[in-house]
Amino acid sequence: MTPSTLEQHDTELRDHVAADVPWQTVVWDDPVNLMTYVTYVFRSYFGFPREKAEHLMMQVHTEGRAVVASGRREQMEHHVQAMHSYGLQATVSRAET
Amino acid sequence: MIVAGLGGGEGIRIVLETEEAMLLSELADQVDSVLLLGEADDPALGRLLPNAYPEDLEASEEFTRYTRESLVDGKRQAAQSVRDATAVDHPGDGVVQIELDQAQAWGWLTFLTDLRLILAERVGLDDDESDADVETRDDYLRAAYEWAGFVQGSMLEVLDPIKP
Repeated sequence: MTPSTLEQHDTELRDHVAADVPWQTVVWDDPVNLMTYVTYVFRSYFGFPREKAEHLMMQVHTEGRAVVASGRREQMEHHVQAMHSYGLQATVSRAET
Repeated sequence: MIVAGLGGGEGIRIVLETEEAMLLSELADQVDSVLLLGEADDPALGRLLPNAYPEDLEASEEFTRYTRESLVDGKRQAAQSVRDATAVDHPGDGVVQIELDQAQAWGWLTFLTDLRLILAERVGLDDDESDADVETRDDYLRAAYEWAGFVQGSMLEVLDPIKP
């Protein structure tokens, strides 16, 4: 094995580990948004069944926040951008391990 | 204001009194102006374009750099489409009927959300003032806020009916 191959392997491994750290899309409570609207956004955008969408909406409403998705950081940023386009308060955060 | 489903398709029909259409058109124009001209420190803009990384300034700025323009464009297009659809050419005609497909209805729903976020922020700001003009203005803003919520709620009852 040549040194350059080893080096490349290390880089790939590091990227792989970094990419595996899960990130989250968090939606925060906002007294302005109608509960039916938040449920409809969750159903339409994420494709959640009604029961799951309503459960998450109630969690936002009663607990102040809910994790609605987790995965790669870029994907979470994409979701958060979509939530902002719908007028929901959403943030990207690193999952607690 | 009446919202009904369109037979067969997945769209809706909204029927507005002339006065309601004129009000909505005016409010949509104002939302577009806030998005176009709003100062960076306008708290209403902060509601429309929240911070994606409250605890990471660098990531927050990068997220803003990559997403702000398209978010603002999308919100402005939604406001402009509502403004244009509700423009009343002949005030004597009585009612304004608007048909929306699913995608257009989403534009209305997001516009109504943005409008309510702005109105909530504007009313909240002047809580400690007791000036009569401010109170009158706040009453008007509160009425518009409630009415926009009523329109959005009525749309959702048709778009996403809860089956018993």
